[in-house]
Amino acid sequence: MTFSEKFQKTTDVKHWLGDMEVDHFLYTAGIAGEAFFVALRDKGVILGTRCELCGITYVPPRIYCEHCFAELNEYTDVGLRGRVRSFTIARLGKDGNELKKPEIFAVIDFGSGTTGLLHKLGEVTPETVKVGLDVEAVLKPKSQRGGHITDIEYFRPVG
Amino acid sequence: MNLGKIHKDVAVVGAGMTLFSRRLQETGKEMSWQAAQMALDQAGLTLDDIDAVIMGSAPDAFDGVHKKGDWLIDGAGGVNKPYMRVYTGGGTAVFAPIAGWWHVASGMFERVLVVCEEKMSSCQPHAQSAFAHIWDPILDRPLKPNLVWIFAMEMQRYMHTYNVRYEDIALVAVKNKRNAVGHPCAQLADPDITLEDVINSEPMALPVRRLDISPPSDGAAALVLVSEDTAYELTNEPVWMDGVGWCIDSTMWTNRDLAFPKFVARAARMAYEMAGIKNPREEIDIAEPYDPFDYKELQHLEALGLADPGEAAIMTREGKTQRDGELPVCPSGGLLGVGNPIAATLGIKVGELFWQLSGQAGARQVPGDPAVGVAQAWGDLMQFSSVIVMRRRP
Ligand SMILES: [Zn+2]
Repeated sequence: MTFSEKFQKTTDVKHWLGDMEVDHFLYTAGIAGEAFFVALRDKGVILGTRCELCGITYVPPRIYCEHCFAELNEYTDVGLRGRVRSFTIARLGKDGNELKKPEIFAVIDFGSGTTGLLHKLGEVTPETVKVGLDVEAVLKPKSQRGGHITDIEYFRPVG
Repeated sequence: MNLGKIHKDVAVVGAGMTLFSRRLQETGKEMSWQAAQMALDQAGLTLDDIDAVIMGSAPDAFDGVHKKGDWLIDGAGGVNKPYMRVYTGGGTAVFAPIAGWWHVASGMFERVLVVCEEKMSSCQPHAQSAFAHIWDPILDRPLKPNLVWIFAMEMQRYMHTYNVRYEDIALVAVKNKRNAVGHPCAQLADPDITLEDVINSEPMALPVRRLDISPPSDGAAALVLVSEDTAYELTNEPVWMDGVGWCIDSTMWTNRDLAFPKFVARAARMAYEMAGIKNPREEIDIAEPYDPFDYKELQHLEALGLADPGEAAIMTREGKTQRDGELPVCPSGGLLGVGNPIAATLGIKVGELFWQLSGQAGARQVPGDPAVGVAQAWGDLMQFSSVIVMRRRP
């Protein structure tokens, strides 16, 4: 009776293997995403768009405000400095094994009223990282930047 | 169905849609925002006026984003509002506005924004690879089936059962691709296409040839729905959703009647009853049936009661379904001409009826001041249908 038995391995029953046949996905960054990544690659700056009505600066930029639907088409350089809103210290990898070195990930704000950017922290230890830490982006050299979120290597403490 | 429980009449007061294209630079969120903003502009409303948002989108595997209804929310205007995604595959195009309808008809919400989006170009090498997973993994997939097989076998059975000629079916593709010439969002409009072009196009899975099929596409569309309480404050030409219906057949496509889609007929019966339509052939002025394949337009017309089984092909040959014919069918250009970003075909079904019945269809306008239309979509595992009857009131 299959109902009453507890299988230790799912391969104990006759089975078929399958996979998702989709080879890969091709994502576009969109109108605002394109502006963001080109500026990061070519000028080494982080762009945002601001909704004056709602007082929100979207980082990375968006072409619309999600609260009032205003069209946002003026890109502003928000600078490379930000502040840690929250962080986590990752100690286990996806395989469940301990990482050689803990990795620190954070949500970073670029001044008040901005949306947060998820990124990695560097040049900081689990003992010294804290909420409210002032940080700055460390960019790859221009020749190595390809217009990716990883053109920012990490954020490190300032001051 | 308890018609006595419907509290409010529901009208469309604005519609919008983006370009349909093989690949758009815009993200799904950006497309959603563009379409939604157009619909709001037409209704003379802002996002702040909207009480609830319905998002319609087909499989996550197209955009390549899991739970994409939640992911699309900010572009759809759903942030901090009652929001739900509905999904009935290709049927979503007409089912999402039905979900919008019950939000308003129930009396719970006054103004509802319905947004539909699809970005099929994300799925590589082709959206077809995601469709492979609708097949039974044990019975069907070892045969390495292609989705087109189902359509080819339906079409074969349809032709056999009702003695329909391929040439008459192919005329649907010619008509719709020509109709799409007037559509500013069209992907495959072709003013010069001929019957020979369709007949000589690449055989896919016979009898289906390349030009019998609508193209995968990226795009978005949106509607604003309001109740009878405020419709006339917003426009002099609201278009009323007077009847809605939907129905689903067996999971196993091999168990279905391949020549006549009974579930479409049942969905239509529900919508007609609600709308008080007794004789659809007499009372319907325009039809926008789902036409992802040319033969599907014919099957759907027959199941909608607008033609006898097998007769839709003859009506097509006689020109009765042309824009200036007795029963204009797919004056938008349909999926065959405008494109097939699954859920976003909302814009060429319900959206088209809104523009046609309010006299705003421009180059596509059906002559004779049409007042009653029916929109229909078809999807899920090829066994679901949604139907809406729309009316302009004198
Ligand atoms: Zn705003």
